[in-house]
Amino acid sequence: MRKLYSNKLTIILFILPALILFLVILVAPIFLSGYYSFFDWNGFGKKIFIGLENYKELLTSNSIGFIKALGNSLLLALLSVVVQLPLALGLALLLGKGRKGERGFLSIYFMPVLISTVVIGQLWLKIYNPSYGILNVVLRSLGLDSLARIWLDRKTALGATFVPILWQYVGYHMLLMYAGIKSVPIEYREAAMIDGAREGQVNRYIILPYIKPILKISTIFAVTGSLKSFDLIYVLTNGGPLHATEVPSTLMINMLFLRNRYGMGSTIALLLIIMCFAFALIIGRIFKDKED
Amino acid sequence: MKKVTALLMTMVMLVSLVGCGKSDASKTSTTTETPTTSEATKAPDATEASTATASDPIDLTMWCIATESDSNRHAYEASIADFQAAHPEINLTWEATQNQEYKTKIKAAVAANEMPDIFFTWGCAFLGDFVDAGRVYSVDDVYAKHASELPEVMMGNVKYDGKYYGVPMTMNIVGMFSNMELLKEAGYDHVPATYDELIACCDALVAKGIIPFGCSGKETWAVTEYLESIIEKTAGASALNEIFAGNATWANDDVAKAVGIFQEMIEKNYFDPEGIALSNDEVKANFIAGKYAFYMNGTWNAADFDKAGLSDKIQVAEFPVIDSSKSKLGELIGGPSDTLAVAASSKNAEVAAESAFEIAKGICHYGYLDGNGLPAWTPDYDTSGINSLTKSVADIVANSSQMVLYGDTAMSADTANIYLDYVSQVYASVIDGKAFVEGLVNDIK
Repeated sequence: MRKLYSNKLTIILFILPALILFLVILVAPIFLSGYYSFFDWNGFGKKIFIGLENYKELLTSNSIGFIKALGNSLLLALLSVVVQLPLALGLALLLGKGRKGERGFLSIYFMPVLISTVVIGQLWLKIYNPSYGILNVVLRSLGLDSLARIWLDRKTALGATFVPILWQYVGYHMLLMYAGIKSVPIEYREAAMIDGAREGQVNRYIILPYIKPILKISTIFAVTGSLKSFDLIYVLTNGGPLHATEVPSTLMINMLFLRNRYGMGSTIALLLIIMCFAFALIIGRIFKDKED
Repeated sequence: MKKVTALLMTMVMLVSLVGCGKSDASKTSTTTETPTTSEATKAPDATEASTATASDPIDLTMWCIATESDSNRHAYEASIADFQAAHPEINLTWEATQNQEYKTKIKAAVAANEMPDIFFTWGCAFLGDFVDAGRVYSVDDVYAKHASELPEVMMGNVKYDGKYYGVPMTMNIVGMFSNMELLKEAGYDHVPATYDELIACCDALVAKGIIPFGCSGKETWAVTEYLESIIEKTAGASALNEIFAGNATWANDDVAKAVGIFQEMIEKNYFDPEGIALSNDEVKANFIAGKYAFYMNGTWNAADFDKAGLSDKIQVAEFPVIDSSKSKLGELIGGPSDTLAVAASSKNAEVAAESAFEIAKGICHYGYLDGNGLPAWTPDYDTSGINSLTKSVADIVANSSQMVLYGDTAMSADTANIYLDYVSQVYASVIDGKAFVEGLVNDIK
């Protein structure tokens, strides 16, 4: 071992390819975004240094609407944690007990994760279509005409957009949790049952503590994924109508490629990265405290 | 020996990674690439280009938005085929990208100064940003040779500081397409010629359970086709032009009044309420299916309506005058915007400029015959086979006195998007005319 560590040149050379990729693809763009965020720049013209003006405008301007976009993504993050993850956990616990057709159900629940987001977006666009969408058609056929509506209108668009996002990734989190549940030694479960524990107690006192690291990872993925959410919203509403479904990522694309404000787009990008890191650290700390 | 092996393996890994990177970059392109008709060779430098001969081939690249599904695809293919047949000494490689992705792609290419020799662009502010950055070649010298067939009035949107930087191809205006069968059901055998008659017609249509207008709220530019026409016919073309050009403020009572008129039409159920959640393609499909009596949109739609067999059923007209003391018939929204430009960084800029003019002329020719718009170039060919809707559009333009370019093209990207934001608020009736002008005055710097 000592000989291996003393051979620094070999270690450096082996690490170098991955390190270069990491620095060039991940670290350098973060620093570049930070650099560009201090400029008023349209992407190809002259850069004008404006200090923290972009940050000030982003956090105070109503016409940009960053605070609202951030609020939307935080709401999505909250819903992911209180709706998506419990749903995924429930399914994982059910399937983890080794029911008949377990593999079939696993495949069915995981299928939305495998389908392209654009396809899912187009599918839900058809479901929500006010004229021929299946949702309104079913409501009308049940005599619930008053409930049929324009689902992607500004009043209901946010909720209508969140439904497919939450639905798509339930299977993903379920699979993570299912893998964790399957790794719980059968002896633990059997010992608890012999001691008279009911199924709910086994889940609560044996399974959940055992898969806590996986729950932590799932929570981090759900929260940071919500903060970065883009594709489904872009396909379904592109942040509209009237910014009702705007999230920081759609706002960033708008600034970069529609409004030619590379400085402002970079500012949003940097804030997104910082928030994702911060939430990952906070969630890690919460789970650590509970473990302690 | 182990050290040497480890070192060699590391070097192999590094080399293979570089190789993969290149390969991946070429595979991730989402564009439709049209292969060149001859083998590509190394492009000659600027001095070689100016003295190019038949034995000294020149490579040119061109980017555009005429993808397979684009109505102009045939015009591009036919024009480029003609060009390549006439110029075997030039190897032209062209590729088309979807409209929205293209905007991102060309901006990135301009930022990196890695533009193709010839590129599609929109006139006015979109091209203006590239010109300001010094990335576009001035085509003044080449235009002088073609001035007799490309009227100077068509070059207004590619002229910056007295110099020309692009070649326009086709031009379009906003037209009010009317479904005559639905109008007949409401008791009208002609398109309403005055504003009062239009309102009476809309009331009659609503009473019959027919939706007068369809408008996509999902694509705000489609809303501007209505709003800008109403503003123009209320405040006048000159006033609107001055506002778009930044020479006058949005604080204009006539603009606020026009917004009020538009919103009154929405309140009176003249517009399909479902339109707010529909794309423009969906609204257009509804119009073709006979759901709406009127559809205000670009006259490039004439070809699609003709293909759908609706030429006999549909008529096109301009929006009627609302305030005759400030506006008149013949004041239109639209103008030549689709343009080919040449990169200043092109090694063969002079040849590329000559080629751009020739290709643009061909696209204009075939595009006009296909019914995709009116020609920016004076036609010197038989136009008797053009569909009746396009002929009507040509008549409207022939009688026009002034055109105001679409607001989102006329204004800079940032300003245009602030404007579009307020337009969408107007369509959703979140703000009124007063708030519209006040908001734009405050937010547009």
